[in-house]
Parts: sequence; C-alpha cells; structure tokens
Amino acid sequence: MLSVSNLHAGYGKVQVLHGLNLEVPRGSLVTLIGANGAGKTTTLRVLSGMIAPHSGSIHLSGTDITGWPSHAITRQGMAHSPEGRRVFPTLSVTDNLLLGGFPRLTGARARGDIDADLRRMFDLFPRLDERRQQLAGTLSGGEQQMLAMARALMLNPDVLLLDEPSMGLAPKLVEEVFATIARLKALKVTMLLVEQFAAAALEIADTGYVLENGRITVSGSASDLRDNPKVRAAYLGSAH
Amino acid sequence: MDILAQLIVSGISVGMIYGAIAFGYQLTFSTSQTLNFGQGEALMLGALVGLTTVNFLIGQSIATPLAYLLMLPVVLAFGCVQGVVVEVLGVRQAIRTGSESGWIMATIALGIIFRNLAENIWGRDALKFPSPLTETALTIGPVHIQPMEIAITLGTLALALAVEVFNRKSIYGKAVVATSSDRDAAGLMGINTRLVITFSYALSSVSAALAGVLVAPVTLTGANMGAVLGLKAFAVAIIGGLSSGLGVFVGGMILGVAETLTGFYLSTGYKDVPGLVLLLIVLSVKPSGLFGKKGIKKV
Repeated sequence: MLSVSNLHAGYGKVQVLHGLNLEVPRGSLVTLIGANGAGKTTTLRVLSGMIAPHSGSIHLSGTDITGWPSHAITRQGMAHSPEGRRVFPTLSVTDNLLLGGFPRLTGARARGDIDADLRRMFDLFPRLDERRQQLAGTLSGGEQQMLAMARALMLNPDVLLLDEPSMGLAPKLVEEVFATIARLKALKVTMLLVEQFAAAALEIADTGYVLENGRITVSGSASDLRDNPKVRAAYLGSAH
Repeated sequence: MDILAQLIVSGISVGMIYGAIAFGYQLTFSTSQTLNFGQGEALMLGALVGLTTVNFLIGQSIATPLAYLLMLPVVLAFGCVQGVVVEVLGVRQAIRTGSESGWIMATIALGIIFRNLAENIWGRDALKFPSPLTETALTIGPVHIQPMEIAITLGTLALALAVEVFNRKSIYGKAVVATSSDRDAAGLMGINTRLVITFSYALSSVSAALAGVLVAPVTLTGANMGAVLGLKAFAVAIIGGLSSGLGVFVGGMILGVAETLTGFYLSTGYKDVPGLVLLLIVLSVKPSGLFGKKGIKKV
C-alpha cells in the first residue's frame, strides 16, 4: 500500500533521514519507534509532502508520489494526523471534520456518504459528539487529539499516518487513544504509527521498525521486536 | 447638534470606502501574511474601467442607472483578474522563497506601473463619473444625505456580508479560513493553499474595484484617485486590526467621522491628521488593532 525506498530528507542542509526503507501493507498497522530526534516526525512529514525528500522514492497504492505537494498527496489517499494535532482552533468540531473530507466534498476523491461518515466519527469518538458545535480551540488536549484523528479519517484514507497521538496526554487518555487505534485496526484501516510509548505501540502493531539517527536498524514483526533484547533494553525500559 | 449629525453621516460613507479597501488588505493578510500595497491603484483601475464601461453603455443609449448595474459584473471580473496578476507577478515568488520583504517592493512597484498605465490610457485629468442615482440630497430629519452615499454603505456591507457567508457556509470558504489559521495543516486536508492565496488576492482586488465604482460618482475619477485612499485604508486596517473580520468597517467609520469633524471644527488643512494620530495611538496601546483577536489556543 505504502512503500518507501532509500529515502533521504532533511531541513535545508541538515540531513535527517539517510536512506530509509519502509513498507506498510494494506490493512496492517505498522509502528515506527525510536528516540527523540531519530527522525520519526520527519519521516511522516516527508511521506505527506510537508517537506520534499532529497532523494529516494515513495509509492502510494502503486503511484509514485515522490516530491508531490501535500494537498496532492492527501487527495491521492494519504491522511496525516500531525504532531501537535494542528486542529483549526477557530472552526467548530464539525467544520474541522468536514475539512478532513475536503477532497471528497470537492470532487477530488470519491465522495461516498459524508453524513454517514460524520456519524461514524461521532460514534467512534463520543466526546466529539457532545461538542459538535464547539470551537476546536476550546477542546481539551485529549479531545483535540481525538478530533485530529477523526479529521484524518474523514478522508477515507488508503493510509493513515499518526504522529505521537499520545503526546502530552494523561495516562488514562493515552489508554483511550490506544484503544481507539486498536478499534481502527479491527476496521482494517491501514496505519503507520509513530510513538514514544514503544511498548504500547508494539503491543497493538503487526510490524515494527526501529529508527536510529535516520536509519532503520531493526525491523520485523511486532512480537519479534518485543522479544528482541536490544529493543527491550533501549526502548521498552526493561532489561529482563 | 444638527451639524454634528450631518458630519457623522457624511463621515460614515467615506469610512465605508476606507473599510472596503482595508477589508481587501485583511483578506490577503490572513491567508498569506502579505498584502497589496497597490490596493489604491486596484480601486482606481476599477473606477476607470467602470467609467469606460458605463460611458460605452450610455453611448448605446442605455439609461444611466441600468448602465451602472450592467457595468458592475464587468468591473468585478476585471478586479478578479487584476488581483490574480498582482499575486502571480508580485507576491508568489516572494512567498515561495520565504522573502520577508520582497512582496512589499513588488506590490508598490506594480501599483506605480498601474498608475502610469492609467495616466496613459485615461489621461491625467480628473473625470466625471455619471451618477446612477439622483444627486439631489434626501432630507432625513436634520440630515441631508446623497442617495449615492447610502449606496456606498449598502454596497460595501453587502460585499463583506457575502464574503462572511461564503466563509461560514461553503466548504471552499472553510478552506480559506483553514488556510488562514494553519497553512501546513490546511495542505494536509488536501487544500491547495497556493490557490487559496491567489483567490484571496482576486477577492481583495474585487473589493477595491467595487469601492472604486461606488465612490467614483461622488468624487472625481482619475489615475491619482487611489493613492491617498489606499494609504488611509492601510491606517484603518491597522486601527481595526488586520485579523478582525468586520472590525475594519468600524475602524473605517471612526476615521471617516474623525476626518469630517476635524475638517469642520478645526480646518480642512488638518483633515488627514486624525487618521495618523489614531494610527499612532493604536500602535502604541493595542498593536493588534482595536478589534484584533488573539488566537484561541489551549493545550
């Protein structure tokens, strides 16, 4: 579904990614773990076109999208719930969700049933249902995270990129976020999850990649990674 | 007391013109943090194109009020194209390269070019714009008011209202609001934010052109009519707040009334002073403008 090969990218002259290879098969949940500064967020930003790669290639459903601008990549079916949530604070919850479906509402992507999908989001995230007309800027951090995920889902994406959905949330909300991701996985949503809570991410993922200094150092099934002594020592916080 | 009421009413219609031009500044500033320093010239071009169109239609023996109505879509379409030209030639490169000031010089330069162009096409003399409405003032209580002054107020408000409804109700309008609030995130929604910026420039020039044909019948029309209006409207945009939605119209009315009052009670020689004094006061007391919003942010 999403296929990345030999990706080099960075900001200006500072190179962050040094030849990244990554596969996200249809219907699977892949997680990318790594320390702060390893290049996890940069990876997602390149994939969704927020920054252009220096070299390498990105294919989405067989289409070469390398170097495309972000709006074109989104229309092609890649949704990105970005770091820091980035909801539109002066717009209502419902308007934020509608904007997630912008390509569908404007004919750039199969329309489907927008109203049914809105209802689906409110079922999936009941707290948003209670706040439909509230401005997104007045939501709590956890609610904004839910909104960012729901907004991305409104695209009916082929691939959903999730950047640190647990960041800055209270433990109870982190649990809730992971429960939601598990539910999306059951619905066969293809996802690439970047997380600092490596243990929780590997618990629900099918496949995992470990990113160190812009390179993939370990990859494999999530259960293999959970049992890998090096991964355990470095990212799972337990040596035994 | 009667004179005071009269001065306020006259000030308001002038102020609405300032407001409409300032509204244009605000449209592009919100999407791109840039604005067209040639807004006054956009107004002037709109007025002159409108004048030529109206005169042509009257030449076809169409009655003046009807000619004026038929001219409006022509001028609005022209404003649209003119705004796109300004964005493509003057602003796009600067935004792409992240230049902080390139667009300032480029839009000023384009404004000067437009003014020269207009001087060569329409000459340097001020021209008379045929008024679509009777020039006999209506008398309401103690106040005399020209029908065209009412048209100015209604016309500019209708434009602002139309934009507001578009932004709130249509998905494309919401895309504009999203671009204003967070350009990167808007891109992730599949919104072509570069196109949104071009669109906002088109709309900005449309509002200036409309202001041009509204004000033209009560003033004189000519290549140099825009410069001072554009500058005063810039002061209004700062006073009202570049992020304040309809605040610019209140800012415009404040300046318009302040000018007529100064003109009458002090001297017409000081007419331009209150705007600048207001500008200085606002900049030192509330730099985001009287109605400027601080973004709602909660983490």
